[in-house]
Amino acid sequence: MKKILKDTCILAALMILSVFTISIIWSGVTDEIKLVLQLFALAFLISAFNYLLDEYVSLSIIISYIVKYFAITALVMLFGFIAGWFYPANFWMAFIYVGVVLILAYFIDDLRIKKDISYINKRIREQHDTAGS
Amino acid sequence: MQIISRQVKDKPLTVIIEYPEYNETAAGLIRKISSMDIHFNAVDEGRQIRIDLADVYYIENVDRKLFIYTQKNVYRYDSSMTELEKITPDTDLVRISRTCIINTGHLKEIRQVKNSHLEAVLDNDEMLIVSRKYLKDIKRVFMRE
Repeated sequence: MKKILKDTCILAALMILSVFTISIIWSGVTDEIKLVLQLFALAFLISAFNYLLDEYVSLSIIISYIVKYFAITALVMLFGFIAGWFYPANFWMAFIYVGVVLILAYFIDDLRIKKDISYINKRIREQHDTAGS
Repeated sequence: MQIISRQVKDKPLTVIIEYPEYNETAAGLIRKISSMDIHFNAVDEGRQIRIDLADVYYIENVDRKLFIYTQKNVYRYDSSMTELEKITPDTDLVRISRTCIINTGHLKEIRQVKNSHLEAVLDNDEMLIVSRKYLKDIKRVFMRE
């Protein structure tokens, strides 16, 4: 199921990009296309930041998510101001958008880690049992 | 599984694996035996030392220098993490952080310290920090066995 969902997201992204590429060639950059391209650019920046933080900084899970929360919110706000998504009156909305996504990501990540640890430890025990018998 | 061993003089150590069909068990066995042949030429106080892969507990990169840790000793190894990973594919060695590779053959347990860091406990009770990013790589080693 996880693989199907992942493949669906990749396929959807490829479909959007290819359809929009043809539309750009055909009728230029419309507001909708501009928004989707901006979202792709922002997603790329967030992914790059996420990768660098996980690769070079060793923090506990909660601290890592708090750092990510503030840094990504700052990134979204900066990008949003440049792209014209936010106005001074509603910039705080970025805290809510990022917060909701990160809370979901944290619970999924935590669940996956616990599941992986449990699987690894079970396999180690099985190997020890086999070696012992 | 049938195990036949016999002495054949004047021939190198030879292992023949016969299987009715090639499956995960056969693949795992071949991988294990092949990895027994892997060794590292490390340095200990100016002397060259041969360390078998099975004796390696973990390998750490400190200031761009590699150190091989066995159960009780530490040796300097002249290589890089990337080079090391290239020569040891499909073995029990797996990266657990940016600077550390462990031998899962000596792994006793992985544990999470109260929603905080992940730790790998080795069978000599040494503990190493595991980066969450590499947990799936450790899992992959156990999935193929």
